Amino acid sequence: MFISLSNLKFLVFTVGIISYASPVFAYLDPGTGSMLLQGLIAGIAVFTSVISLYWQKVKSFFVKEKFDTDTDTDTDSDT
Amino acid sequence: MNQKPGSFRDPFGYIFEQNDFIFRTILSPAKKQYEEIRDEGLIQESVEQGFLIESEELTSSTAPAELNEAEYVIKHKKIPFISYPYEWSFYQLKTAALHHLKFELFLLDRGALLRDASAYNIQFIGTKPIFIDLLSIAPYKEGDYWLGHRQFCEQFLNPLLLRSLKGITHFSWYRGNLEGISAIDLYKVMSLKDKLSWKLFLHVYMQARLNSSVISKPDEAEAKAKVRKPLPKSAYKALVNQLYSWIEKLEPKDKSKTVWGDYAKHNTYLDDEVKEKHEVIFNFSNQHKPTKLIDLGCNSGDYSITALQGGAASVIGYDFDSNAIDIAFKRSRAQQLPFLPLHLDAANPSPNQGWMQTERQGFKERAKADAVIALAFIHHLAIGKNIPLNQAIQWITDIAPSGLIEFVPKDDETVCHMLSLREDIFIDYTEENFIKILSQKNKILRKTQVSLSGRKIFEFSRIY
Repeated sequence: MFISLSNLKFLVFTVGIISYASPVFAYLDPGTGSMLLQGLIAGIAVFTSVISLYWQKVKSFFVKEKFDTDTDTDTDSDT
Repeated sequence: MNQKPGSFRDPFGYIFEQNDFIFRTILSPAKKQYEEIRDEGLIQESVEQGFLIESEELTSSTAPAELNEAEYVIKHKKIPFISYPYEWSFYQLKTAALHHLKFELFLLDRGALLRDASAYNIQFIGTKPIFIDLLSIAPYKEGDYWLGHRQFCEQFLNPLLLRSLKGITHFSWYRGNLEGISAIDLYKVMSLKDKLSWKLFLHVYMQARLNSSVISKPDEAEAKAKVRKPLPKSAYKALVNQLYSWIEKLEPKDKSKTVWGDYAKHNTYLDDEVKEKHEVIFNFSNQHKPTKLIDLGCNSGDYSITALQGGAASVIGYDFDSNAIDIAFKRSRAQQLPFLPLHLDAANPSPNQGWMQTERQGFKERAKADAVIALAFIHHLAIGKNIPLNQAIQWITDIAPSGLIEFVPKDDETVCHMLSLREDIFIDYTEENFIKILSQKNKILRKTQVSLSGRKIFEFSRIY
């Protein structure tokens, strides 16, 4: 599955600002925070892979068009 | 057979010690996991690649009878010297962190993972890191989370960042909290500029924020965490890879400032005197050929290396100065020497601590050797820390049955500096008194003057 960490930057930043809260009692397992963080990353990874799938479709539509025209004019395009 | 007190946390198995060997039991809850990992050949491959300690699975006839309740018993050789992350230099902690991440990636590529990320699971033979907890390896299932992420950050990343960003060493903080440094604590000392770094934002700031939200709204957070979206393997690996390339580039912020780091260049000896001192150490080591020698006040390792050249099989060095042990560690690692430099405040050595105060052993319990050298060291205890001379001598000579202690007289330049701004209350600090105290329980075999100022190295051997 495709994931780019630079793509995560903006999204995680936004979520980070929203999820601001101040500490009260520190008796709960602090590992839950890391689980939530990875949950966010998982969500974003899925999100970006869906986006990238659609993007690939859009891109292939145009690339195909371009490829058709290229083959007509330039026979050495593969080299 | 004694159960090791540090091994109570994991109900999958416990650790027992007998003579020179460690026995790890694998109990019924871990049977399936262990068999799966073993049958895939992962244990063998991890050993071959230098990640995991070499071990042997015993049969019911070869396993100790008192461990017969275990499903399996694994035996391996004792690590020559156990050290803890709060005694490790910056580069040693960094080496351990990279070893852990590399091992995690190695396992992920082979359908397995590490269940936790305890720094105590990594030990050092010389400066070579080795993973000791076989039961941390578990099969990977698609969508699994990196369960050790929080622990990795607390025990490796955050202590390294503290030094790298702020120039603060991790020793005291880590020793005070054996689990390391939490993201919530670290982010409080981060500046706005620090927070603008993308990696710090993700692993420290975000984690701290989310942990805070867990604390303030526990039910909500728990419900969210329970609905686990599967984490793609590529994202899991990207997290590990990102930490690897980040940590690989971390350097201490205060690298150039040091008390003893430049000692080799700016000491109070002349060249001939240094040569003479090296000779005394070489000859002592050559004569005794100790299996383990402890060098108190090892600095950047000059004399530790001489001891190795003389015939010592391994050296554990101790120094108070973080930069000195950083240099010593890098030097030893580059030359692949059996020399491990560690941090020690001799006036306040590592105590017995953790659960029941037995989980992590103190300095005294571990620092036993065949020989000890304490060069240009005792005046720092006796004059620098006001420790009575007889106690300082007793403490050093308890470490090993034979060794070298250098006595630095009051009219030596270094001691003059130490006394220049304070009253000389050290009437007992004389060579005569030093000899008298040392002779009470030891035989003085040799006395060599090594400087014009009157510094002398005494070779002693315990009488009883």
